[in-house]
This record gives sequence, C-alpha cells and structure tokens, in this order.
Amino acid sequence: MVHPFMFLEWFADLISLHVGPHVLYTWLAMAILLSGAWLASRAISLVPGKMQNFMEAVMTGFDSLIENVMGKDGKPYFPLIATIGMFVLVGNLLGLVPSCFPPTASLNTNAALALTVFFMTHYIGIKKHGFHYIQHFMGPIIWLAPLMIIIEILSHLVRPISLSLRLFGNMYGKEIVLMIFFALVPLFLPIPIMFLGVLISMIQAFVFVLLSMIYIAGSLEEAH
Amino acid sequence: MNEQEREQKRRLYRSLGFLSSIGISMVAATLLGLAIGYYLDQWLDTRPIFTIIMLMFGIAAGFRNVYVLTSWELRRQQKDQDENPQ
Repeated sequence: MVHPFMFLEWFADLISLHVGPHVLYTWLAMAILLSGAWLASRAISLVPGKMQNFMEAVMTGFDSLIENVMGKDGKPYFPLIATIGMFVLVGNLLGLVPSCFPPTASLNTNAALALTVFFMTHYIGIKKHGFHYIQHFMGPIIWLAPLMIIIEILSHLVRPISLSLRLFGNMYGKEIVLMIFFALVPLFLPIPIMFLGVLISMIQAFVFVLLSMIYIAGSLEEAH
Repeated sequence: MNEQEREQKRRLYRSLGFLSSIGISMVAATLLGLAIGYYLDQWLDTRPIFTIIMLMFGIAAGFRNVYVLTSWELRRQQKDQDENPQ
C-alpha cells in the first residue's frame, strides 16, 4: 500500500538481501544522519561553514528545548533525545521523497525507539533514586499503595505502546491517504496532502521527543 | 505576519500536536487493561472476574496518564506566560 516502487528494495532484491523495507530505509536514514554529522564535523572551525552552521543551529534548538522542558538536570540525556529526534524527523521526512518508505511508518522501528525510551526511563529512575524509586509507583497515600501500584505499573506499561502506535498511526495513515489520492487523481490532488505530511512529520517528531523528555523528567523528579 | 503572531502560531502547533496525542494514551491504557484481564481469565479459567477488574484498572491508568500529561502541559504554559507576558 506504500509507494509502488522502492529503489532500495529493488537494489536489495538484486543482491538477494531479504530484510523488510523499514530496515533498509532505517539504514538510509542512518546514512543520511551519519554523513551529515561527518560533513559538519569534518572541518570544525570557529567561523562555521555552511554544514556546520546548520547542524549547530539544529543542536542549539534541541539544547534549548531540553533546557526548557527538563531544566538543568536534562543535560546528560541530550545525546539520547537529540538522536531520537533527528532520526524520527529524518525518517518521517523520507516519506515525502519519491520511491522512499518512511521507516517510522512501520511498527517495528517505532517499537524499538519506544522500548529504548521505556527502559531508559526506568534505568535512570533506579540509578537516581535507588530503592526509593518504588515510591514513584505508590502514590501519596500509603493505604492506597497496593491499588496505586497496579495502576501505575499499567500506566507505565502503556507508555511505549501509545508512543509507538501514535507515530505509526500518523505516518502510515499519511502514506495511505497519499497513495489513495495519488491513485484517484495523480496530477495535483496529492500536493495538499504532502503539505500536510510535512506538518505531520514535524509535529510527530516533536511530540515523540517531547513525550520522551516528559517521561525521563518524571522519573528524575522526587516522588510526591 | 509579524513576529508575535508567528510565535503565537508556533505555540498553537506545539500545543495542537501535544494535546491531540493525549487521547491515544487513554485508549491504549484501557485496551491494555482489557487484554491483560482477558488473558488472565483464559489462563486461570475465572471468567469474567479478571476482565472486569483489569478493565477498571486500565481505565484508571488511562486517567492517570492523562492527568500526568495535562498537568505537565499546564505547568509549561504557566511558565511560558510568566516568561513573556503579553
């Protein structure tokens, strides 16, 4: 139901490599990001060149976002957040390139990202609070604790599900609507959907990063 | 469009994306609770006790998630307003 022709899949068929398109295009997104990073950091100078300037602007944006949301405590998690954000954004925007498949329109990629965030939040919480991390799950009143533990565990378990499903639903839905419109009237009708696609790509990447930051900040703060 | 209006628009998009994503966290929690209860019942052969109990817990967990996210968003808006009052 996605693009009728995908050049990486065609290429993978040629060398009889059998992995799904989402893995292939994840590699493409990785290649884009790695080459971008390499180009930007190849010749770092005090007066930045074009590529360095661009990457510095992007990283400053992430930095101020983290500062805004998590405060000073969020600084150590900058690499994780920025990596996820860049990857999701590039992955989403790949969907607008002809013969490309957005890797984030597959539940597998999103589940990998969301599970990373999920385990990271609990690792951070246990590292920061030690055994007292369990107080995060017990709620404010002690005799309600057995009830609250189940509710809190459920609400924590559902976070990776809703994180991955949200991104998957938006991206895959965009792909399907785009393809249907393309099948109906291929000439000009898909263009507004593609504009919408740019908007959705940005918003969903932002939301994914924002929610990851909220979850990490939630496990960092003291229990109520 | 002047600078202030553009800032307003950007804030609108941010809040739009964030708030529209709250719904799914509630639905997913309810469904997760239902699924856990259903399979517990199948395993323990105690239909329909666990289905009902876990569904209740799922709904509560969904509300809890929405509560956490909304209170966070309110705090952020408050901070935003304190920093640059209109």
